[in-house]
This record gives sequence, structure tokens and C-alpha cells, in this order.
Amino acid sequence: MPEIRVTPLGAGQDVGRSCILVSIAGKNVMLDCGMHMGFSDDRRFPDFSYITRSGRLTDFLDCVIISHFHLDHCGALPYFSEMVGYDGPIYMTQPTQAICPILLEDYRKIAVDKKGEANFFTSQMIKDCMKKVVAVHLHQTVQVDDELEIKAYYAGHVLGAAMFQIKVGSESVVYTGDYNMTPDRHLGAAWIDKCRPNLLITESTYATTIRDSKRCRERDFLKKVHETVERGGKVLIPVFALGRAQELCILLETFWERMDLKAPIYFSTGLTEKANHYYKLFIPWTNQKIRKTFVQRNMFEFKHIKAFDRAFADSPGPMVVFATPGMLHAGQSLQIFRKWAGNEKNMVIMPGYCVQGTVGHKILSGQRKLEMEGRQVLEVKMQVEYMSFSAHADAKGIMQLVGQAEPENVLLVHGEAKKMEFLKQKIEQEFRVSCYMPANGETVTLPTSPSIPVGISLGLLKREMAQGLLPDAKKPRLLHGTLIMKDSNFRLVSSEQALKELGLAEHQLRFTCRVHLHDTRKEQEMAMRVYSHLKSVLKDHCVQHLPDGSVTVESILVQAAAHSEDPGTKVLLVSWTYQDEELGSYLTSLLKKGLPQAS
Amino acid sequence: MDPECARLLPALCAVLADPRQPVADDTCLEKLLDWFKAVTEAGSSLLLLQEHPCLVELLFHALRAQDLSPRTLSFALRLAGVFAAQENCFQHLQQGELLPGLFGEPGPLGAAAWVAPSVRSGWIQGLRSLAQHPSALRFLANSGAVDTIFSLQGDPSLFVASAAGQLLVHILDLAMREPAEGRVCPQAWDWPVCARKIVCHLEDCLRSDAAPRVTQALHVLTTTFGHCHGLWTQGLWVQLSPLVACLLEKDPMPAPHTLVDLLLSVARSSVPSSDPGLWETVAQTLTRLSPTQAGPLAAGILKLQDCPQALRIQAFNVLLQPLACVLEAAAQAPATPGLLEGAAGDPMAVDTLPPSKSACVGLLCSALAHLELLQPLPQRPSPWPQAPLLAATVTILRFCNGSAAPSSEAGGRLCTMLVGCVRVQRAALDFLGVLSQGLGPQELVTQVFAVLLEYLMSPDSSPMVLKKAFQATLRWLLSSAMPPGCCDLEPCAQLVLGELLAMLQKRLCSPCWEVRDSGLEFLTQVTRHWGGQASFRQVLLASELPELTRQLLQDPESYVRASAVAAVGQLSSWGLLAAPSSPEQPAIPQETPLEALLLILTTDSEGFPRRAVMRVFTEWLRDGHAEVAEDPERFVAEVLRAAGKDGDWEVRVQGLELALVFLERLLGPRGSSAVAPPSVTARAMRALCQVQLFEFAFRSLFDCDRPVAQKSCDLLLFLRATATPPGSPQEAGDRPNVASVEAALRRWRAGEQGQPLGELAPEAILAVLRSMDLEALRDTLAKSSDHVERSPQSLLQDMLATVGVLGDNEADCY
Repeated sequence: MPEIRVTPLGAGQDVGRSCILVSIAGKNVMLDCGMHMGFSDDRRFPDFSYITRSGRLTDFLDCVIISHFHLDHCGALPYFSEMVGYDGPIYMTQPTQAICPILLEDYRKIAVDKKGEANFFTSQMIKDCMKKVVAVHLHQTVQVDDELEIKAYYAGHVLGAAMFQIKVGSESVVYTGDYNMTPDRHLGAAWIDKCRPNLLITESTYATTIRDSKRCRERDFLKKVHETVERGGKVLIPVFALGRAQELCILLETFWERMDLKAPIYFSTGLTEKANHYYKLFIPWTNQKIRKTFVQRNMFEFKHIKAFDRAFADSPGPMVVFATPGMLHAGQSLQIFRKWAGNEKNMVIMPGYCVQGTVGHKILSGQRKLEMEGRQVLEVKMQVEYMSFSAHADAKGIMQLVGQAEPENVLLVHGEAKKMEFLKQKIEQEFRVSCYMPANGETVTLPTSPSIPVGISLGLLKREMAQGLLPDAKKPRLLHGTLIMKDSNFRLVSSEQALKELGLAEHQLRFTCRVHLHDTRKEQEMAMRVYSHLKSVLKDHCVQHLPDGSVTVESILVQAAAHSEDPGTKVLLVSWTYQDEELGSYLTSLLKKGLPQAS
Repeated sequence: MDPECARLLPALCAVLADPRQPVADDTCLEKLLDWFKAVTEAGSSLLLLQEHPCLVELLFHALRAQDLSPRTLSFALRLAGVFAAQENCFQHLQQGELLPGLFGEPGPLGAAAWVAPSVRSGWIQGLRSLAQHPSALRFLANSGAVDTIFSLQGDPSLFVASAAGQLLVHILDLAMREPAEGRVCPQAWDWPVCARKIVCHLEDCLRSDAAPRVTQALHVLTTTFGHCHGLWTQGLWVQLSPLVACLLEKDPMPAPHTLVDLLLSVARSSVPSSDPGLWETVAQTLTRLSPTQAGPLAAGILKLQDCPQALRIQAFNVLLQPLACVLEAAAQAPATPGLLEGAAGDPMAVDTLPPSKSACVGLLCSALAHLELLQPLPQRPSPWPQAPLLAATVTILRFCNGSAAPSSEAGGRLCTMLVGCVRVQRAALDFLGVLSQGLGPQELVTQVFAVLLEYLMSPDSSPMVLKKAFQATLRWLLSSAMPPGCCDLEPCAQLVLGELLAMLQKRLCSPCWEVRDSGLEFLTQVTRHWGGQASFRQVLLASELPELTRQLLQDPESYVRASAVAAVGQLSSWGLLAAPSSPEQPAIPQETPLEALLLILTTDSEGFPRRAVMRVFTEWLRDGHAEVAEDPERFVAEVLRAAGKDGDWEVRVQGLELALVFLERLLGPRGSSAVAPPSVTARAMRALCQVQLFEFAFRSLFDCDRPVAQKSCDLLLFLRATATPPGSPQEAGDRPNVASVEAALRRWRAGEQGQPLGELAPEAILAVLRSMDLEALRDTLAKSSDHVERSPQSLLQDMLATVGVLGDNEADCY
């Protein structure tokens, strides 16, 4: 029985380390290959031993697809391809291919910098891994091999994020990755066509949440930054190199412009240029507004945001600094935080999630006395704010996407079990489809209708074409033929050819029907009346009166006979072949109504 | 346990027991468990429980509470297992009826929580931890846990099912360890109850008609023979091999992949020494499996250290068969060398390739991959059919790029299947590269280079195929180099050199960054090996490659710029970068390679090219590059100045590496314990002060990026050991003024950038070096920079601090 099997190795009833194995019509695809930033040993990567057990990875897996550049979706990729040994193709969109190595490199530097992190990939490995990537354009159908094809759809969320449709024959699965159904400052909303996949695998981070307007959060953010700067304080915004940072930069840049503020805004050295370069390069991936105004003014060329130098942290006066990494666990952001933490005029705004074991996590949980190296204690007097700018679809958005794609089944990943349970019920009720939420390691198996390819004979096709209508994929047409199964192949041929190939003689099957009409005239006269009547009604058909007195319309034969018991009644014998079933039925019902009176 | 953790523990246990306080970060419980494992490995678990009764209370609570979250319950089960791994602690918990409660029917086993895979997984992992001693074994046998483990083998969760199988192996091993000691292969009826039960279960499974049950048993047996080395495994095989043999004879064979794994696992164990019949079984299996299924078994057999020669030949033939079919399909005449005896001219041979494209491609790829792994092994089959393998690989590549003209119908069919198939191209190019380790007839080597050139020049080659073609070409070029001492290239390589470099020129202009990068990597490697060979120099200098490489220093892609830097470094080292001048066209003055690379170091916005520059500079300094040798001190000063300001800590580390090379040039190599004579030291110190190495090193010592500080510490320790031997008294007379240096160090330690040190007296530097506790600093730096945040104490604080705070953040992500 053909089936689709899905096994999450990561993101099954949890968030982090997305990695989902899909088996569809004998093809094996890995969807995302993420890492968990909360671990610093092998547990940070999905447990690939479950696939390496199936023999050589490159033989087992047909391809890997990466939905976007966030590390919880691509962080394990160099490990998987260069250390575990996957040597096959990796598909992602062009912006993801460009930005992915930057984030991987950033993370590698932090991991090696912190030390104690063995078994980590090198810079060369990241490069070698990226060379295995095949870039995919939006809405372009990419043929992985003769049978497997993939297609990318816009997902919003971050620059280059995509949803992927995976198709083998008539079976298909759509994987959303992370997506956002509402446009933001720099990106548009996710969109997919009514592709009616057998299965839609969707993220469910905000499965139970209807998110408040982003405008409110933005106003709040600007207000807090403004207030701090006004009172002479410094604002630290720890961010990851690319992604939300650019959205916040646009926000501040516009606000600074509008309010004519003078306090400097800095961004980690090199990153502004880099970000600017990529956003310029991939302008078609941004939202409509940015695309429209791009010619007059590139939104990513910031007037107020300057490159940061390490010495600036000691400068007096207000300033806003975007620094990496985003969880305050190493490098520049942590260094600045240590310098500024003691002053209550300052503020740190955490725009995203922080894992345990980082300073970011500590301050977000309200800890204000932090133990530092050498038993020193850092007292955090600066204000600490958390403002999530992560761009995921909320419950409404997820339902909207399910409605758009019209899948036969839905599978939830990338969320918490409890919240998934709620959404699952909602989806099942509203869309009347089965919804699954496997935990990591659990396999969901969905039976599918078998799809059998059938070859059609040239003769049959030519005969159809001769009728004047060219084949049109959008207008399916009924075609009669004989299906032959031979040498494990199916072929549709004309019945004549089938008979010839199979060495069989033709038999003809005719349907017959008797119509009783009250009429005293002779049979020949009766037949003549039938002929005249049919001739007048069936103008498009060839109606003939044969010398033997019978009447034909195509393959339909009408003969008039006397009733054996009632001389005042005549019997019309109507017979036809199955090809003229429709006409035969029509003609019979016509005759049953009787013949018109002779004038 | 440190006192602070001991103080926080009761509060934490209370939080864990409270279902209204969910643990926000799912990694916390894992880390907590890691900590408990470390604590119990270092000391007595019983003592730990007695000193911290809150732990036992937590376990009791897990037993009683109905509303505990699955993840906390799973944690409690695993924690109980960790404690019970020590026998006295096990008994302590057993007395309190805690273990039967947690792992028996009254516990989660019969509760609603069992539905959660994490609870089932925790239950298994708990048992896995506690199954370390005879008491645990009795407990497992009497509590009915083993039956539950049997059923969990078929769990819908892959993780649970796999862990259940592994636990069975562990229990079997534990049960057999004691009675088997000192005795040869005890008979099955002598085995402990627990072991007998498991073996009976395995027998039932092997007899079953249900494929999943058979597979489960095979997995358990594979792990058993792979991990358990007691003599009892021989007895186990004697008992179970008839059942396995039955499976092998079934048609269709159930779980063929798993059976192959089992046979290989048994073949690698001590079983073959006691049961030579195993080889017969393996040989029969090889014949019964399809070519695709037989490949892994054949490859496994050939990797064995010791197995009958006839079987090795049979296995090798399995791997060679697909390639023999290719040769057969391409044969123009019957004289083509065959891979298999009797295969050439056998019209049936080609038909052994699967008819469907995907199966055929799969078979060829796996055969090529197996042979690739086999080639470098000492136990690879001998004689190794190098020539036919080369011919077959070249033919495959020709089928793939459509340049082969098959004369037979079978060849035509194969050609249709393989043409344009990237997967086969990649596998064949990898194997072709490996084959360069062996010799081949001249004619075939010529064909190898020809087909590689075809791939390198073809516009249809994908970037990945091109990369592999470059790698294979490099391997063949290097393997065909003439013996050392000979100043020129092997004729075959020489023949293709012109075409190769012309192709490279085109590839360096490719719109794909991957191609430009692979091309540059290739050029760097070839130059590294052949930079001194006359014919190579001649062809290279006549080409536009040096100029193109120079231009690629400005490539928009940073990876390419970095590779161009490495290539320029290599070309320049061999004097291959100078612009050729002729009387008609005098050389236009260009910036020197040193100037060009310095510009990248100071201006490039990306780290890769800057790091590449530092690597090249270090190499130049080490090897005495002509431009550097003109004025090494000026060179070092300039590079250190740039590296010191760099935002990328890896560039700064590279700067310190360069400083170390400079130091070694002045004071002799590291590792030699010799102390430099005073005159050498004095000269060196002056030079070091002049290039401002100390300012760079001292600033680096307090760098916020730990590897920089570490490297600097190593450098200063080396300097101190060489320049100021231990026990050498400070010279009498005026004590140098170290105040300014120490003040600067204090500022830098506090994280301030401060003013530069300015002019330094060597004596002051030496005095500061003597006074610094660099060893202590080295020890501190050896720890991870976030060791405080990742300490158990920090973990407990974080878990307590998040209670009731992270409501909004818990579901968030990036």
C-alpha cells in the first residue's frame, strides 16, 4: 500500500532543532537540519544515528531542504554534510544560501571562542557544505531526479524563508518551515496556491495565540528607546547578525528621521554593510513598499546607523547599539552589557528568545546580581526589557494557510504539545481533515491512493487529435481505449490494437429496448414516420432509412414490428452499442413519448 | 556538592514537584540530570540522598502525583535510575518501595502519563541506569519490567523502541557476565532466568510471521554481537543460528538489511572461531540477496581481518559485478578487459543491472562507494584489478556525459539511464580520485585525464561535479608526479597541462562563486606542489592565470576572495606573480602582492579574506618570502598593527601566530628547552620592542575573546622561558620603571582600550613578564568563557528564577 511517512527527529512537539524526515513514494527527504542552541554537546544536533543505520546516508536520502537561515533550521547542516557524511544535494532559496554561511560562521566563532565545545565544524566545512547547495527560485519547479520535484513558496518570516512542496507523481507534501501570514516592515506575507497536498506539515509556534498588532509592539519599542536616550542613557539591543535586526534598524531609522534625533545608533562592524548588501541583492524578497520605493531610496541604506567601534562603548552620552550575539552569551554584546549594566539610566532590550546558560536568559528571568568570572558579582541596574519580534503565524494565520492549501491531512511541528492539541482539534473541526502531532521519533503513516503511470498509444492519440481538439492540460477530456497490462507496464490502446496484440476476436455488445406505440398503420409506414420524426429532431446526426425498412442513427438501429397479440399496437425495437449509450437512451425516451400526428 | 547548590536544592525540588510551575526551558532538566550523574559518579548516591532528603521526597511525589507534567515525570524516572545505579542506594530505595512504584505497575506504567513518549523513554533510561548490579537484575526479573521492555520494542516512537532494544542487550550482558566468567560457553539451560527469558523472547520473534517482530529481534542480536564480547555469545549463536538460517531461506527474505547487519556483526565477533559454519551461511546469503542488498554484506566481508579466501573472492565479485556489466555493455570488441572471470562476453551479465533507472543508479553508486572505501585498506583484495576498474569508471563517466558510443542494445539502455545523472557522476569521480593511488597502463591514464578534462570543460557540469572533478584531477596529477629529484612532470600530466590551465582560466571567470572558488583551490594546490617545476612554470606564466587570480582578490564573494588570497600567496611564493615584461611592452608598475594583501587585511569587510591573508603572511614569514625578507621587522610591525585592530578574533589569533613565528626566528624554535644567550636575547628584545609586539601581546592577553588571550599567554610564557630562565636573578642595579606598563595592563584588564604603551624598554618588559602569574592566567583561560553561566549553581539559580516569570517567553523562538 503506498504511503507517506513522516518522522520528526527534531521539532516534534518542541521548538528548536527542526529536522523532519519525509518518505514519499519511495523517496526520502530531510526537511531542515537545525541545531539546539541550549546544548553545548552532541545533543545540540538531531540524532542522525537513526538514519545512518539505514546504510550510506547519500544512498538513503534523496535530498535535504532548508526552509530558512535560522540556526534552529540549518545549524546542523555542516555537521550533517561534512562530519556525518551526507554528500547529496541540499536545496534552499538564494537568500538563504547567501545568509546561511554568515550565521553558521557567527555561531561557529562563538562556540569555538567560548571553548569546551569539541566536535564542531570548521570554517572550511561551512564553505564545503554551502558548495553542495542548489539554489531554488520561488515558484520554480526543480526536478531533484526523474520522479521527485520540489517547489518553493514565499513564507515571510525572514529574508529568503520559503515553504516547500515536495511532489512525487500525484503524491505531495507541503512543509511550511516558519512563516508569517502578516506583512511586516520589510517582508511580505506568506502565500501558497491551492495545491491540495496529501499532507501539510506546518509550524505551530503560536498555536493558541492571536497576536496583538505589531504596531503596538513597535510603538512600545520606540517609546522605550526614546525615553532612555532622552534621559541620557544608552540602549543595548543584542541581536543575531541578520534577520530581526534589520527590521528594528528600519524602525529606528524612520523614527530618528521623523523626530530629528541626534543620538548615535551603532551596529556591529561589518554587519550593516553585509546586511545592506544582501537586502539590496534580494530586494524582490522584501515587501511591496520596500520594492516600490527602492528606486528612489533604498530603505537599507541607513543614514543614522553607523558602524560600531569597540572604543565607542566608553564614550559618554546617549547611544543605541545593536551588537551580536543575541543571547548575551559571548563577544561584543556581552562586553558592552558588562560595561553598561551598572547604570540605571541604561537599558537592554532583548528582541528574542534566550536559552538557559546565557546571561540573556538570566536577566530575562529577573536575576539582577550576576556572578562573573573570579567570584565577581555584576549588579544589573540597567533596565531590562523583553520584546518579541519573532515573526510566526498565529493561530488565525495557521488556519488561514490550511484554508489556502486545502490539504488532505495536516501535521503540526515546531510547537508545544499542549498548544498543538488545541490547534489540532480546531483544524479537525473546521476543515474536516485528520491532524497529527507526532513527538520526536514518532512516525506518522498516511496511506495514499496509488498512482500508476499509463502509456498511451500514438494511434489512439492521433485518432483523438483527428477529432479536431488539441490536448489541453487544463481541460481534461474523456478518452476511450483498452488498458493493457504487459511486462509490468500499463498501456492504453485502441480496442482494435488491443485485440490484435492479444490475439482475440471482436465481439459486439448491443443494448436493446422495446417501445410500444399505439398505431394501426403498417410497419413500413410506421418506420417512415419514425424516420421523418428523428430526421427533424436529430439535425446534427446522420439519420438513414435503409432499404430493409429499418432506421439508423449512428450505431442505433430502429425496427418497427407488429405486436403479436395486439394488432393496434406496434413495437419499435431499438438497439445500440455502448459507444452510443447516451444517444440510445435519449432516442428511446424520445420514442416513448410517441410520434407526432401526421399533418 | 558545593554548599550553594545544596542550599538551593530543596527549593528546586519543591518547584519540580509543583505542577503549576512548568519548567520553561526543556534543556534545563537534561542539564540537571547531567549534573546529578556527575555528582553520583564522584561520590556515594546513598549519602547524597541522606544529606538531601528533598530528592527522595521528589521521587515519592512523582510516584503519587497524578498531575505532574510528562517531562518532570520522565526526569524523576531517570533520576531514580541514576541514584539506583549504586547497589546500596538501590537497596535503600527498594526498601522504601520507591523503585517498584516507579518502575512497576503502580507507577506511570499504568497511568495516563504513559501515553507520552517522553515518559516511556524516561522509564527505559531509568532502568538502563540502574541495571548495573545483581540486585537490579533480580528486580528486573521479578517486577515484570522485562515484559514491558519486550512490548516497548514495538513502540511507535523510534527513540523508545530503539532504547528498549538496547536495554535488552544490556540486561542480557549483565545477566551473562557473572555466570559466564571463567567458563567456556555455558549451555543455554545454565543461563540466569532473566537471560533465558530474553533469549526465549528472541526465539519467538525470529519464528514470528510478523516482519516488525523479526526486525526487532535482529536489531537486538546485532547489537548483542557487536557490543558483548563474552564467550556466552558463542552459545547464543549456536542456539539461534538455525532460526536465522530459516529466515535466510524464506522467500522473500524478511528484513534483508537487518539480516546483513546481524551476519556482519556475528562475523566480527568471536563466533567464527567456534563456528566455521558461519562462513557457509554468509556465502549462501550473498548468493540469495539481490545485488543491491548484497553490496553492504560484500563490503563488510572484505573489511574483515580474517575470513576464508573463497568468500572474499565471492564478495569482491558482488561489488565488481555492476562495473563488469558496464564494461560489458560498452565493449566494442570481446578483447576488452573484463572485471570478472568469465564475465566478458557473457551476454547475461548486463541483465544483472536492474531495469529501472533509480535502482540501477542506486546500485552503481553504492558499488562505487564501497570500492572507494575499500581501496585504501590494507586488507583490500589482492590482486586489485586496477586497470579494469579504471576502465569501468571512465566508461561510467562517459555514459554519464554522453560521450560514450555504446555499440550494443544493453549499452544504449545503460547510456539512456546514466546520461546527465549527477549522482553517478559524483560517485564515479570520487572513486576515480581514489584510484589515483594505484598505477595504471599509460593508455588508461591518458583516458582518465581525457575524461576529467571533458568534465572540467563541459558547460553541463554542475558546480558540485566540477568540484569533484577538480579534486580527482589534482589527485591524478600529484600521483603522476615524477620521483623526487626529478625536475619535471610526468609526460602524461605534461600533455594535459596546457589544456588544464586554459580550462582553469575559463572557470575562474565562471558566474558561479562555487566554481571560481574550486578553481582557485585547485590552482593553489597545484602550485604548492609544482611551483618549482620548469614546465609548469612555463605554461602558467604564459597564461593569464596569475593576472586573473590577482583580479579575483576583488571578487564580490568573500569565500572567493579568501581563496584568491591563498592562491596569490602561493603563486607569489614561487615567484609566479610578477608581470611578464617584454621590450615592446614594458611591465606596468603594479602594487606588489604584499601591498595587495595588506590592503585586504586593513579594508576587507569580511573575516575570511582577512584570515586568509594572515595565514599567507605567516607562511611567508616562516618560509622567508622574498618581499618579506627585505625588511621583516617592518613587515611584522605593519601586520601586527593591522591585526591588533581587527574585529575578528581569529585574525587576532593569527596575528599572535605570526608573532610566534617571528619570535622563533629570533630566539629559536619552541619546544627546545635551550635558553637563548644574553646577546641574542638582547637583540631579540630590541627587535620585539621595535615591532611593538609587546603592546599587541599584552593587549591580547586581556582580550574579551578567550582564544586570543590564550594564544597570547602561550606566547608570553615562551618568551619568558627563553629570555628569562627560571632562577635567573634580576640584574643588580636600577630596577626598570614598570609603572607605566603595569598601569596600562590594569586598564586593559578592566576592559578599557586606553592609550598605546609607546616606547618600551626591554628591561621593563622582562621585569613585568617575571612579575606576572602567567601560569595562573593560563589555567583560568583553559576554562570555557561561560563556565560560570553553565555551572550547576547557575543552572539551579536560573531554574528557580524562571518560576512564574517567563510566561510570555516560553513559546518563543528565533
